[in-house]
Formats: sequence, structure tokens, C-alpha cells
Amino acid sequence: MKKYISLILVALLFVACDEGFEELNVNPTKPSQVSPQSKLTAIQLFTSGGRYENWRANLIYSSTMMQHLSATAGYWTGDKYTRNEGYASSLFDRYYSDPVKNIVDLQQQLETEEAPEEMKAITRIMKVFIFHRLTDLYGDIPYSEAGKGYIEGVLKPKYDRQSEIYADMLKELEESVAALGSGTSDYGDADIMFKGDMEKWKKFGNSLMLRLGLRLIKVDAAGAQAWATKAINGGVMTSNDDIAYIEHTNGPDGINKNGNGEVFTADGNPRMSKTFIDILAGDPRLPILAQRRGDQSTNPADLVGLPNGLDASTYEDATGMTSLDDFAEPNRNIITGEDAPMFFQTYAEVAFMLAEANVRWGIGGDAATNYNNGVEAAMQMLSLYGDAAVIDQADIDAYLAANPYNAGTAMEQIATQYWIATFLNEYETFANWRRIEMPVLTPVNYPGNVTNGTIPRRLIYNQGEKTNNADNYNEAVSNQGADEFTTRVWWDN
Amino acid sequence: MIKKLLSFLVFVSMLSSGTAFAQNKTVSGTVSDESGMPLPGVSIVVKGQTKGTSTDFDGNFTLEDVASSDVLVFSFIGFADKEVAVGGQSNINVTLSEDAEALDEVVVTALGVRKETKALGYSLTEVGGEEIATVKQTNAINSLQGKIAGVNITQNSTGAAGSSRVIIRGASSFGNNQPLYVIDGIPMGNDTNGSAGMWGGSDGGDGISSLNPDDIESISVLKGGAATALYGSRGGNGVIVVTTKSGKDKQGFGVEFSSSVTFDMIDNSIQDFQTEYGQGRRGAVPANQEDALDIGTSAWGPRLDGSNVIQYDGQSRPYSYTGNNLDKFYRTGTTFINSLAFSNAGENSTLRFSASDLTNEDIVPNAGLNRKSFSLNSSHKMMDKLTLDINAKYIREDVKNRPRLSDSPGNANFSVALLPPNVDVRDLQPGADEDGMERGFSNNIYSTNPYFAAYNFRNQDYTNRIITSAALRYDINDWLYLFGRAGIDHSTRKSTSVTPYGTAYQREGSMNENERRYTQVDADIMFGVTRDLTDKLAVDAFFGANKNSIESENLNLSGGRFIVPGLEDISNTRDQGRSRSYSKRKIGSLYGSVELSWDRWAYLTITGRNDWFSTLSYPGKETPNDDFYPSVSGSVVLSEVVDLPETINFLKLRGGYSQVAGGADQAYQLALNYTIFGQGHLGQSLGRIDNGSIPNANLVAWNKDEFEIGLDLRMLNNRLSFDLAYYNNESSNQIVNVAASPTSGYGGATANIGVIANNGFEWLISATPIRNENFSWTTSINGSYNNSEIKSTNDVDGEIGLGQARTRNVEIKQIVGESFGVIKGRAFQRDGQGRIVYEIDGDGVPLAQEADEWQILGEGVPPLNMGWTNTFNYKDFSLSFLIDGKFGGQIFAGTNAITYGNGLHKETLNGREGGLQVTGVTADGAEFTTTVAPEDLQTYYGRINDFAEPFVEDADFIKFRQFTLGYNVPSRYLENIFLKSVNVSVIGQNLFYLMRKVDNINPEAAYNNGNAQGLEYFGVPPTRNFGFALNVKF
Repeated sequence: MKKYISLILVALLFVACDEGFEELNVNPTKPSQVSPQSKLTAIQLFTSGGRYENWRANLIYSSTMMQHLSATAGYWTGDKYTRNEGYASSLFDRYYSDPVKNIVDLQQQLETEEAPEEMKAITRIMKVFIFHRLTDLYGDIPYSEAGKGYIEGVLKPKYDRQSEIYADMLKELEESVAALGSGTSDYGDADIMFKGDMEKWKKFGNSLMLRLGLRLIKVDAAGAQAWATKAINGGVMTSNDDIAYIEHTNGPDGINKNGNGEVFTADGNPRMSKTFIDILAGDPRLPILAQRRGDQSTNPADLVGLPNGLDASTYEDATGMTSLDDFAEPNRNIITGEDAPMFFQTYAEVAFMLAEANVRWGIGGDAATNYNNGVEAAMQMLSLYGDAAVIDQADIDAYLAANPYNAGTAMEQIATQYWIATFLNEYETFANWRRIEMPVLTPVNYPGNVTNGTIPRRLIYNQGEKTNNADNYNEAVSNQGADEFTTRVWWDN
Repeated sequence: MIKKLLSFLVFVSMLSSGTAFAQNKTVSGTVSDESGMPLPGVSIVVKGQTKGTSTDFDGNFTLEDVASSDVLVFSFIGFADKEVAVGGQSNINVTLSEDAEALDEVVVTALGVRKETKALGYSLTEVGGEEIATVKQTNAINSLQGKIAGVNITQNSTGAAGSSRVIIRGASSFGNNQPLYVIDGIPMGNDTNGSAGMWGGSDGGDGISSLNPDDIESISVLKGGAATALYGSRGGNGVIVVTTKSGKDKQGFGVEFSSSVTFDMIDNSIQDFQTEYGQGRRGAVPANQEDALDIGTSAWGPRLDGSNVIQYDGQSRPYSYTGNNLDKFYRTGTTFINSLAFSNAGENSTLRFSASDLTNEDIVPNAGLNRKSFSLNSSHKMMDKLTLDINAKYIREDVKNRPRLSDSPGNANFSVALLPPNVDVRDLQPGADEDGMERGFSNNIYSTNPYFAAYNFRNQDYTNRIITSAALRYDINDWLYLFGRAGIDHSTRKSTSVTPYGTAYQREGSMNENERRYTQVDADIMFGVTRDLTDKLAVDAFFGANKNSIESENLNLSGGRFIVPGLEDISNTRDQGRSRSYSKRKIGSLYGSVELSWDRWAYLTITGRNDWFSTLSYPGKETPNDDFYPSVSGSVVLSEVVDLPETINFLKLRGGYSQVAGGADQAYQLALNYTIFGQGHLGQSLGRIDNGSIPNANLVAWNKDEFEIGLDLRMLNNRLSFDLAYYNNESSNQIVNVAASPTSGYGGATANIGVIANNGFEWLISATPIRNENFSWTTSINGSYNNSEIKSTNDVDGEIGLGQARTRNVEIKQIVGESFGVIKGRAFQRDGQGRIVYEIDGDGVPLAQEADEWQILGEGVPPLNMGWTNTFNYKDFSLSFLIDGKFGGQIFAGTNAITYGNGLHKETLNGREGGLQVTGVTADGAEFTTTVAPEDLQTYYGRINDFAEPFVEDADFIKFRQFTLGYNVPSRYLENIFLKSVNVSVIGQNLFYLMRKVDNINPEAAYNNGNAQGLEYFGVPPTRNFGFALNVKF
């Protein structure tokens, strides 16, 4: 009898060997979904970027190729047009894994949850911003299938032609701005760029359309004009109140900080390029942007730029200086803070584009006025760096008086001011310079450079793509040309 | 589940209450051979039960709690079994005949079931506790090194409290390869609590090291799948079954005291650097203090001449060799182990309680550990048919400063090893100045002052661990039984690590507080049948169920930048962070085993186990969450049925086939999760996808199919025996990261794709060349050769990187077609004739060209392992020694690479006077010979050390591993005092190398126990160990 009771007990105890297992394997520490608002805030910070890609793609490569900064250290590879695969692909690596992945997911959530159209529109504009930065830097890139590893199981996205990406991005902007009304979107304060202000998003969308339209100038001048016209008619930024930028804080975590600021905390090597310092001669921005490394002097007479393309063994002969501390560096008391703002697009840039549109096609208002507005705005917006960066109106006026708009050299003037105004947003500096090739930058020719002594025209892809996404990578190379720094992206041809 | 089981156990015991306890008694006696010589180590079991004991050194035994109806089975290797009915006897003297026809040694097999070895269709090695208790190590498992064929134990250079790598029959998995440890039937967590990688770190130790060696009765090593199949999805890496002492082999009340002390001394025969040229550069001494700081670890100065030369601190000291810095910095390590055990064996119960204290001072100053263990084992015969066993262990481990390894920051070993010969490490004392700031000796802030690393860095932890189990056996009748067992392994580990304020590379410092809670609960219930079905056919079968649950939680506080210098508390930091992780998973199982035997010479065992995994379950999932693991094995004792030559006493053939598994042990891997991360921004919370890799809802455990065959042969009156095994296995469905383009948003996807194959031989040859009344010599050679091959890695059969050396020019990789974990690194470009291609650089110093691709330079895991044990007994003295070796593997000697660059390596002496002649070819094939000027040697050797190829060296070695000389005080001296036995021994370990191919380093000097074996980089230097041990029984 006892035996049978025992056997029954055994059977009862183990009747189900997996009872409750399904619930047990649901992670109790992680949500299965989060709000679109929290995702947008994170995406905007991801887009501003971490130290990783700001160090490598933005500063080490782009800023030195554009001769804003310079450095003698060997790992500042953009200064010398040498190859560092991981540095070059850093934006590609980080953007797809952070902002792209999460905005693709956010879009799906907004569709599933049938969110208001204006939220979708804001998300689409944000997405265009992310992708235009990627495609401008690399050319043909995964776009239509990107970030869908989980949603659609696409492990190896195809590379879309940049011509098609641009067409789609412009269409997206057009549709998005049309869907935006006025008032505050449901993103509210979670939208750390515009606090949900739909009017500002509309201006940003149109301003971005203007930027993208002008990018086409080499390959499709008519298209460029059409899109510029459409953007201007739709309403672009009109003052520094409209600037698209991210406000950062001093921590507590890396995500909260300005990625460029984190670089300057960690890296004492970058100096102001001689090219930049020379162009800033007489410019009231000079003592705000630069200081002498050794004694922090901002006296313009003390501010000497370090030429690009030098190393520790050659700079003394080339410059006559005996210490790297005697050169100017980004002003560490004003613009290099970890709580500094990060600019995506500014009114000053818009004003310069309007001036250019007027020069080219007679649209967008008077060129001289727009030029003056742009210079003034570019100087005034520095106040976002703090009180120490406020420039007296008298100084601005004096500068404009000394450097008046000159119709004869308008394009170079406009391009140079655009180049100055996008300092630290080097992705944009690099893209705009390639389409207009002004100001004229003299390339360096450092031993071992991979561009034959020419300024790079793009950065190279993640080289792991050769194995992880071989077919699509190879197709992109056959469409666009060799995966080299010298290959031009579609709109640069 | 546990509640249910406990109530069941209570219920069963209630059922039986009211039944009178049977009157049992204690029997004792002596076992001897036919010549009258006492036989130590004879196994005595009560037939049909698990109860048993073995004879002591003098052949005496005592067995309590024996019923008159019981039959005792006496068995000993090389002797015929003898069965004796107890009847009315209480003193049973037995003479065993030397006849190997029956060889019924009983060993512990899977799930703790005892079986006769001749019934086993697979290889199993059981090691007695004395192997572990005689030469005690801080990590008991290290005592098995070199002793068991097919078990590869690597004691890394991680310090006394570090972890070990134990691999059975080669690595089967791309993930964890360490075996499952089972203590008295309960699986024991053996996670490694952190280890060093290319960027440094320290070894946090592992779980198995908590065991007190004095408590171990036996260790059974279940090597292959046929042996471990009853553990199903947890048996894929082999299983080590530890049985702790229970007091069952004692009589009445007994006390055992053992004490040992071990001294660890730097083995300074290993590192052999040049001592002729001092600090400097390009043949010149430092010009000033700043210059000396600039070249802190550079030994490229001129020949030491005794002149006064300025050093890093601005002081001038004689420019001469100051002696071996290792000897000066490290101290003699000591380990004291004291254990006291009480046991009592009464009519119906046995009890053993032990307390043990291990206190270690590591050779690294200010580092060491203390471990206190308490163990209680008791067994109660509650009624005639009902036995309750209860085991409980409590371990408290307190580790002070686990040394940092590998990369230089905070790593004292790095700085000490690299000081130029004229710099005395003791001059770096104290490590900090009056303000607590690190006193640097180099402008490279990442080369930490070794005294600062030892005394100012903190890396301490303490662990409280309880392992306890209860088992109840109810004999329904003489051929049916019911058995239940439940147990728990619970630990909490609190660790604190501090990079102090004032650290050169992190001025404001930082710290981390971590608490880990781990609980494993395991319960079995079994129903068994042991019956002779006919005269010749017998069945031994059991069926059971198991539930296992593992829960872990990790709380972490981090603080960066101390505010008040010197106060090391999280609240005193500017940047504070916290995190928590949690996971819980379960496995439910049903299993069964049927062993059929025919006439005691043919055996067939079939087992099956089905595991259900919570980690493979998820709401809505449609694919199975379970898997089935079968095995079949058999043995035939040919010597019982076939006429064999007379010299052959015993011959058994065995074979088995099995499917076991591993992995799938991570909870929450099937679904996409989100996370709220960071601490918000401007009052807004931050949300994102949590997964970096695409979750795979259909993931399963990896499978291992194995067959093995073997034979046991004993001949020449059992004086010579062979135990041979061959196995061949393939582990498929390995969980690997499928390549994904990062543009998919993910780093990859996990999938069951990888395949690893292993095959190999194991051999154990034992001989007793001499055996007479006063003297015996036994010798045995064990060895194994494992051949591994990576058959598939991922969807594109790409290379999988396991770990890089800090030099970043060499990596351990899984490459299809190669063996497990090959070393691939930067190699020279060579012409058709194999000559190195150089470019004569602008500076005139030949610059070796780099091959287009990294080359495979070696394999990190030595395939051939051997051990040779000898034991001599003369009257009451015994002497034994172990020599072991590993062959066929390579190691990247990071120490040699770095010392090539800084001029400490002896080979950098070539050319210091008169220059070095270098011959090679240029890219266009032209031969050249050039002389590198002495001042350019620094450049020349510095260029060589950019390559990995010259520093991937053969790791072959033969080591005099262990020596013991013991003396048993003869019982005649003890008769009239209260002592039962006294044993004293002198022990030595790691005494010297008989052969070592790689220079300057210990060939076993890997810095972690992971799969990236074959990288050496500034771990704790190797030691020699000497000690004394005393064991007294009252």
C-alpha cells in the first residue's frame, strides 16, 4: 500500500516538468515596450553622438581634413589622410546600432499604436537627419533595409544608391512638413530639440530640405533649384530661436554629455589649424573659439595655428615653434565643455544658403542681407556656449563693415562663412565643402597618406562588411567605386 | 517544488513512524592477502545498499549499523570478491585471494549511484580523498593536475585565490567548457567571478575552490557522454562528482586533526633577463630626471659601470646591477591549513563534523585569503528500511587584494618585471607620497608603481556559502527502493575594488561595490529496482525526476572621482552609478537507467533523460522546450568466458554511445526587450532596445554525440595493468553569433550552427614492479592525446575571436579546419625560400616586412598530456612523486615580446658591443647584409617586437610537479596512548622543470581560465612550494 501511495506522489510531483516555465523566462527586469517619448529623447542624444564617433569620424577625420583642427599625433589620421579603418567607419558603426536601430523601431511602434500623424512626421524628419549625415559621409549605404534585423529579420541589408536615398529623403521631408500643423506634438518636452513645437519642426524640415536640395548642385542643378524653392516657400528658419541643437549636461552618464566635449576632456592633442586661425584673423569669434594651449591666452596676437600634416619630428622645422603648447587649441573655457550645445543645423547656415540661392537663382531674398544676417547670427549664437561667448553687437558690426558682402566673390565669402559657422559640426562642414569646394584648402602630403595627397572625398565603410555583408558591400563598391577615401559620393560627381 | 518535496519526505517519514527500529550492530575486522599481509583500501559494501567503507593502512575496518541479515562484499583491485554473511559475527577477518577473475571495485557514478567498475561501459576515474588531502592546495581541484588521463587542469598565474581551468576530453563548446561539479548529489555553482583580459583585470576565483580538501572522501571524474548522460543537458563537458566524508568508515567516537604549512617561493629559475646594461636610450644613460622618467622601463643604456647616474626621483645611484627585483618585491607566501574533525558512529547514526581554517599570504605583498569551512555530514537509520542523510557545509572566504594581471594599469607584476637592472624596486617604496599621490617611476602613467598597486589599490571580496542537502532512502523490500534528495547551494559574494585617489592614470580614483547572490536548488526523486531475474540475468534499474533552479542577482554601485582624498566610500564620489541584474532559470527532467547483467560477465546499460528548459520557453513559442538525451553502453569481461593465456588475469572490453548537451543556460534570450537606461536627460527618461544581438526564439542547447571504446587488462598476477580508451565526439548546434551587418542594427544573431569535433586516446598503465612484505614500488603513467577540430563556426564559417593579447598583434581564434583555439598573429613576410623580407628604412635599420595577413602561429591548448606517478613504500615510510608534462601546444610569451622592446631580454645583448649583423632579402629579392649600430639596436629590436611570430613559442614542458615523503607512526607505538594514527609528511610542489621550451615564462602562465588559452602577459610569477603536513587521529 505504502508503495502505491509513494508512486502516486511521485507522479503528482512531476506531472508537469515545465510548469510555469514560459512566465519564468519573461525578463522581470526589462520592459517589453517603452514609450515613444522616451525613445525620441534617446534617439536625439544618440544622434548628437557619443565620444566614440565624435572623436574619430567628426574630429580626428572630418575636422582635420577640413583644416579646422590639426594634430601632430599619429592617430589623428585625418590630419594626414592616413588610413584607420575603425576610426573612419565609426559613425557608420555607431549610427546604425543606436539612432538608426531605435528610430526604425520607433516608427514601427508609432504605426502599430496608430500614433498622431505629427509624431510620425517629427520622427521622419529626425530619421532623414540621421541618414543624410550617414550618406553624405559614406555615399551609398543601407537605407531602406537598415535597422530591421529584428523587425524583418534582415541581417544583411542592401546598400541603396545615394541618388535613391536622396530622392526618398526629400520626399520624406516634403510629406512630413505637410503633415505638421501648429501647437505642441504629443512628444512634448521629451523632444529635447524643440519641446514638441510643430512650427519649429516644420522650419527645421524645410531647412533640411534646403540643405539637401543644395547638395544636388553638381549632379542635378535643376533639381537643386526646385527643392530649394520648395523649401524656401515652405518656410525655413528665420532666427537663432529656430536652431536645431541638443542641450547637454555634465553627466551623470556619457549619454548626457556632449560627445565632442568628452573628446576634449580626454585628448590634449588637437590644435586649431593654421588655416582656420588665419581665416579668423580680425574675427571677434577668434578669442572665443581659440586659446593658446600653454597659458590659455586668448589674445589674438598669441593665437598661432598649427599647420595640418605635421608630426612631432617635423613641426619645429616647419613652424619655427619649439613647443606644441605654443599653438592655439579650441578654447577650453568656452566651447569644449561636456555641457556644450551640439548643433544639428543653425539659422546662420540657413541664411548663408539663402544668400547662395539668391546668387544662383535670384530666389530667397537679397543675398547681401542674408549674408549679413548669417554672419550676425553665427556670432550671436555663440552665446549658447555661455556668457563668456557673447559678442558685442559693435564688434559684429565692425566685422561686417570691415568684411562687407562683395558680389564679385560672393560664393567664396558665403562658403567661407558657412565653413566657419559649422565648426565642430564637421560632418556638415565636410559635406558642404565638397559640393562647393570653398574656401580653398591646400591639401597636405604626409608620407604614407592614402589619397595621393588630396583631401578625402568620403570615409570608408566598416571593413567587416566585406565578410558580414559581402554581396551587398560588393554591389555598393561596383556601383559607387572602390571603398576608398578618394572615391566621390554620387552628389560630389 | 522544494516545499513539495520536503513535505513529501516528511510524509514518507510519517508513514513509517510507529515501526520499530531494527537492532543493528557494528562489525569490524582485518582484511589481508593470502600471505597474511594486511590490505589497505579494500572496499567493503553492504550488498544491495550504498553503505560501505574501506580498510585503513593496517587492513582494519569497522562498519556500523549492519544487520545480521546483511551480506558484506569485500573487493579490492586484483583480488577476487568475497561475500561474507554477517550473521551473529561482530568480528570478521577476511582473507582475499589474488585472483582477478572478478574485479568488483565499487565506484560512484552519475547521480551518486555506486556501481561495480566491471559493469561500466565507459571510462571513469575515481580518486581517493588522500590524493587531495596530502598535498593541499588553496584550490583543491589543482591536486588532480597530471593525475587523470583525459583531464587537463591549468593553474593559471592568477595568484593563490585564482581560478583553474579544468577541461575533460578537450573543449566541446564555443562557450563554457568547464565540467559540472556535483557535491554529494547537489550541483555546485562554479562560475568564475571575473577574470583578466587584454585590458587587465584580476581573477575573481571560482566556486569549486571553496571545498575543504580534508572533507573530500572521493572524486569521481565522469569523462565521456556515456558516463554523464544521466545529467543530460548539463553533462556535455564531463562531470566531477565529489563525495564528502561521512564518518561511516569510523567506529565509535573519533577525532582527526590535520595541519599543514606550505611555503611559496618565487621560482627565480624561470625569468632570466640581462643584467649587464642599464636604464637609458640608444646606449646613453638618462641625462636628467625628466629623461629618466621618460624611459622608466627602458634598458637600452650603456654597459653598467658603477658610475653615479640620475634616476626617476632625481637621485643619482650607482649604475650597477641591483639584484633580482622579483626576489626583492615578492615575499615568501605561506598557507596554513588546519582541520579538526569529530566523528561518531553509533548504532543507528553516524555523524562527522569538521572545521577548517585556511590562511594564505600570497607572494604578492598585501594579498592573501582566509577560508573557514564547516562541514556536517550525518546519516540516520530512522527505521529498518529508512535512512536519512543530511549534509551541510558553510564556507566563508575572505580575499584580500586579488592581484591585477595582464595589462599594466594597477598591475604590480608588470612594473616589477620590467625595471631596468640598475633600478632597485625597493627604492620605489612607499608607493604613495605624503599626500597619497602615486610615486611614479615613469612618465608612462599606466605603468603603476608596484608598491602603490599592492598597498593602495584594493580588490577584496568575501563570500558566504552554504551547501546543504538531505537524502531519504526507503527500501520498500529487498529489491525495490525509493530515494529522494534535495539540496541547495547558496552564496553571497561582496566585493570592493578601488582605484585609489592619487593614481597616476586616474588622479581622482574610482571604486566599485558589488554584491552577488546565487542560489541553486536541486531535487531528485528516484525509484529503483535491483533484482536477479533468473540465475544469470539480473537487472539494476532506476527511474527518477529532477528539478533544478538557478537564481542569481547582482547589485552594483560604482563611484568615480573621490571628493575627499583617502575616504574610499561610494558616497564620497562625484559620479555615482548603480545597476542590478537578475536571472532565474529552471530545468525539469525525467530520467531512467536500466542495467542488465548476464552471469556477471556481460553488462548492458541503457539510460535516457529528458530535460525541459525554462530558457527555451516563452509565451506563444511553438517549438519544443525540451530535448532527450540517451546513452547505451556495455562491457564484456572476456577473461571470464574465453580461455586466455595464463599471464592475463583480467580482460574487459567496453563501449558506449551517448548524446549529451550543454549551453542554453541563459535566461531571457528568446525575446526582444527594451530598457530605460541612464538617469534621464533634462528630466526626460531614456528608452531603447536592450538587445545588442538579435534574439533567437528557437535556440536550443548544443548537442554532443560521442562513442567510446576501451579495455581493461590486468596481467602478471595483476602487477601490470592497462586501461585504454578511445573516444570520438562531435558537438553540434553550437550556439554561435551569426554574422550580421551592423547596419541591421545588431551585432549579430545567435544560432545553433557551430560544430566542434574531438577524438583522442587515454591511457593509464600501472605496474607494481616490486611488492614484498617491507617494500613496494608502484608506478603509473597516465596520458591523453586529444585531437580537436573546428568543423563549423557560423553561417559564413568566419573566424571567431576569443581574445587578444595586450600587444594587439596576436589573437586566439576558432578557425574552421584548425584545432580549438589557435594562435593567429602578425608574422614576417618571407620570400620563396622562407627568408624574411626587409626594407632598409631611411634610418638604415632593417625593417622586417609584415605578411599580408596574420598567420596561424600555434595552438593554445596542448593536445598531449602526461603524468607519471611513483610511490614507494618501505615499512612505514612512503615516498611518492609526480612528473607531468604537456606537449604540442604553443604560447604567446608577452613577457618576451615586451622585453625585446625594452632591452631586458637576453637576446638583446647581441650586438650591444660592435653592432649586430643582419642578413636578409629586400622586397626585390636582393640579399643584403648590414650592421646595425649599437645605438640603433633599440630601434631594431623594437621593430621585431611589433611581430607576434617570434614570441609564439612551444609551451612543451616536463615538470617535477609533486613530491611527498610520509611517515606513519607504527601503531605499536600508539597502542598505549590515546592516538590511533599519526602521519607526518614533507611535501613539495612545482619543484623544477625537467624540460621547458619557452624562456623567461612559466609555460602554463595564461592569465585567465577562459577559452583564449595561449596568451601570457605579466601574471603573478611562478612559485615553488614546500611544506609539512601532520595528520593525527584520536
